[in-house]
Amino acid sequence: MAVTATEPATEPTAARPSTVPSSRSGAAAVTAGIVLLVAVLAVVDITQGTASVGPSEVFKALTGRADADDASVVVASRLPRMTAGLLVGAVLGMAGSVLQAVSRNVLASPDTLAVNAGSYLALGLAGATGLSLPMLASSGIAFVGGLAAAAVVLGLSGLGTGTVRLVLAGTALMLGLHSMTQALLLLFPEQTKGLYEWNQGSIAQNGFDGVLQMLPIALIGLVGLMLTARRVDALALGEDAARGLGVPVRATRVTVVVLAALLSAAAVTLAGPIGFVGLCAPALVRPLARRFRGFARSRTAMPAAALTGAALVLGSDVLLRALVGGDRAVSVPTGVVTSLVGAVFLVAMALRVRDTAGAGAPDRLRIPGRAVFLATVAVLVVVLVGLVIAAVLVGDSKLLLGDVVNWAQGRAGRTVSFVLDTRVPRVLAALGAGAALALAGTLVQAVTRNPLAEPNVLGVTGGGALGAVILVTTVPAAGTWGVAGAAFAGSAVTAVLVFGLAARGGFRQNRLVLVGIGVASGTAALISLLIVLTDPFNANKALTWLSGSTYGRTMPDVVPVALALLVGIGVAVARRTELDLISLDEDTPRLLGLRLAPGRLGFLVLSVVLSATAVACAGTIGFVGLVAPHAARALVGRRHVRVVPVAILLGATLVCAADLLGRTVIAPAQLGAGLMTAVIGTPYFLYLLVRSRR
Amino acid sequence: MRRLLLTAAATTAAALTLAACGTTEPAADKTEKKASEAITLKDGKGTEVKLDGPATKVVATEWNVVESLVSLGVDPVGVADVKGYKTWDSAVPLENEPKDIGTRGEPSMDTVASLAPDLIVATTDLSPAAVKQLREVAPVIEVTSADGTGQIDRMLENVDLIARATGTTDRAKSLRDGFEAKVAEGRKALADAGMAGKDIAFADGYVASNQVSIRPYTATSLIGEVNEAVGLKNAWTVKGDEAYGLGATDVEGLTKLPEDTQFAYIGNDDDPSATPFTGELAKNSVWKSLPFVKAGDVHRLDDGIWMFGGPGSMEAYIDAVVGALTK
Repeated sequence: MAVTATEPATEPTAARPSTVPSSRSGAAAVTAGIVLLVAVLAVVDITQGTASVGPSEVFKALTGRADADDASVVVASRLPRMTAGLLVGAVLGMAGSVLQAVSRNVLASPDTLAVNAGSYLALGLAGATGLSLPMLASSGIAFVGGLAAAAVVLGLSGLGTGTVRLVLAGTALMLGLHSMTQALLLLFPEQTKGLYEWNQGSIAQNGFDGVLQMLPIALIGLVGLMLTARRVDALALGEDAARGLGVPVRATRVTVVVLAALLSAAAVTLAGPIGFVGLCAPALVRPLARRFRGFARSRTAMPAAALTGAALVLGSDVLLRALVGGDRAVSVPTGVVTSLVGAVFLVAMALRVRDTAGAGAPDRLRIPGRAVFLATVAVLVVVLVGLVIAAVLVGDSKLLLGDVVNWAQGRAGRTVSFVLDTRVPRVLAALGAGAALALAGTLVQAVTRNPLAEPNVLGVTGGGALGAVILVTTVPAAGTWGVAGAAFAGSAVTAVLVFGLAARGGFRQNRLVLVGIGVASGTAALISLLIVLTDPFNANKALTWLSGSTYGRTMPDVVPVALALLVGIGVAVARRTELDLISLDEDTPRLLGLRLAPGRLGFLVLSVVLSATAVACAGTIGFVGLVAPHAARALVGRRHVRVVPVAILLGATLVCAADLLGRTVIAPAQLGAGLMTAVIGTPYFLYLLVRSRR
Repeated sequence: MRRLLLTAAATTAAALTLAACGTTEPAADKTEKKASEAITLKDGKGTEVKLDGPATKVVATEWNVVESLVSLGVDPVGVADVKGYKTWDSAVPLENEPKDIGTRGEPSMDTVASLAPDLIVATTDLSPAAVKQLREVAPVIEVTSADGTGQIDRMLENVDLIARATGTTDRAKSLRDGFEAKVAEGRKALADAGMAGKDIAFADGYVASNQVSIRPYTATSLIGEVNEAVGLKNAWTVKGDEAYGLGATDVEGLTKLPEDTQFAYIGNDDDPSATPFTGELAKNSVWKSLPFVKAGDVHRLDDGIWMFGGPGSMEAYIDAVVGALTK
């Protein structure tokens, strides 16, 4: 996949003219090259499809000599699809390009600003309330949702304040919004049916209606952005310089973000969220700007990004249809392929990006006293115990403590035994997974000194889920230890990949997170692909692994994570001072004669084991590894002797509460714990971000 | 945060004192074994299942087994997604008001356990972990929903299996006879109308956003086999999945169907996204140019015939398709 996926990347170099790249002619030649590529892809795209309408029929149809049936296929299916691909790609590429320029941030894009997720949730809400809307109106709703999400992310992270905060806020909000939408899908399956498939993004069309309705919106956005191009360039000089030139900084930014959201909303309504195009297309154009000065200005860079975006989307569509054939391709959304392609790009880009951004704002140095720590732990323990008891007692059938006592003594009645036999393992699975993920997050954040590093964001849990899904789809009868082993293998492979790639030049913040996010979305796309191709009618399986669920857990399933947790806590307690030193900075441990590499490696391996066993036990539960350590540091300071127990307690509390809510809110139907964690975790995480703002 | 935690702790303490004692069920008096005629049978997974006697309180996790139970005169006490069943399988309506046990993919263990059933009928589609837990609640028979071979035989064997577990083998026999009679009747009616050997393409379709996906029921699907049984010929050339024989295509894929195909589909009035043929596609020029659309050979069959159901649904299907083709 990777080999073919990078194909478009080599294109600009192939199109490089052999003459000395003088600024203007060189840029023109490159542009011509991209236009040619897009044209070729477009032509190939309209020859592909489920009908037996190949190149010769298409040619005849275009020259008006084909019979009516073939012509109608070309006109009502192929051409609209191709146009939709062009439009969506161009619009997303342009939106990404301008967002990156205006936020002076290479990671800004409709995906990382949660615009797509916002639109998705807005459409989900509209669907759930039973609104059946014409396309234009639903586009309006998507626009409002996307704009709101972008505003929240930019508002929280601040413009131009560095990559880390933006990705932090964007990823967090995206996860949260996605989980809320997923919850809606489960709560209102009838009203929101189809939204799940749509979520993956597909450019297939039935006629030109959709394209024609979106075209004016796209044109308004494109023209508007071209008109602001000069001001955007001025912004790149810095705020003061821009003001000096008489450019209204705030107004320009607001206009640009609104227009970009409008464009993304148009793309989302037409084809669903086609991931990563807005991130990749400008990234591909950027190296050109270094080589050809013509691309340095927004007025040329934006159209170039638009063209590149179109090439990406069409290229993915062509690739997909060429690889799996027309019939199968119907069930594989284009968005899965762009996500895969995008993941590879993101990783490649991360390796080349020069890491200039400083550390994200460190948590404020506060050293709460011992009493505060003890009080926090005591309160947390009480809350957790209460939750556990509530989780055991509350469910579809409510129990009382006496039932539990009877059960523990092995003399409970039939019903109570059944209920507790299934409920207790779930509670334990939630506790174990929560604690393990929190500990893993704490360790990774300490080792990498990266506030964003977390098994989920870094793709380690995704890798684990992929490993587990591969095993489950190939060996349906796989047992507990098999799944745990496969999850560990998957986690280990992704961890080696992510840390290995990021290790070049030390674990730089941006690089690690970028590589991680790339790998994470790659694994998610692969899981979708695998399930669509092997078990198309089991969306449930996909949801279990992608959303994190404690459904159907039995006692033996909890054993691996419990063991990993015991070892993990032991190591963390024994090596607490080392953790403190490692998390401080690069030099102090060296000065003290501490050998960094083996210690770091050990902690990383441990965190991989922890997150893999958590995945095997409860699927991919996001957020806990990110939120729990942050919250713990906010509560009791930075020393690991205090952070570790508090983080573990918080993690267990969070997942246990999420599981309890997920099981009871819409009983007898169930929501995955992972969904609920995100719904609970997002607001708290955003609150943390706001608070740490200076 | 800190205040929040404190409040939570206080609430917890209060709740604990309230829930401290008492039981919802008296402690068990272990041994209460019925010594009536025990039943031993092998289910679809080859697992040996022992029952104390014919089961009467039955929980079912999939609609096809729900339908079989109702047809056999056993009204299940628990059914997954009752609302969905009522929407999609009105060919064999529920006779009672069973308890909803949650989704078909993840039925709630709590609810199942609280019903204290003496048999759970699941299908091989349910995750092994869930089946393992259900076994703690009551004996479970796993019925093979579809494995790509002999769907009609599979359907009738499934009915037999459920009948043996519920002591209704007589009803199963008459169901089988009724189904075979219906097939013969349909076959004759079609032959009389000169429709024998005609190409038929049965499908259902879904609209997501403004995209239409069509799901062909190929020759290896249950409906596909029933089509052959009544003397029609399946027109689909796309390949179905291994178990259910369902393919995937879009509107342009329909151009591969033979010219004189009869196109039949089942939609649902309660689910607008499941009826693209009259909605989204009505003004699509590919659809309009299809020869069987032009010839008016597109038939919407009655709602509520469950395409993966038992003999009841398939008899309703035969009635509907024969009615449509001989009109």
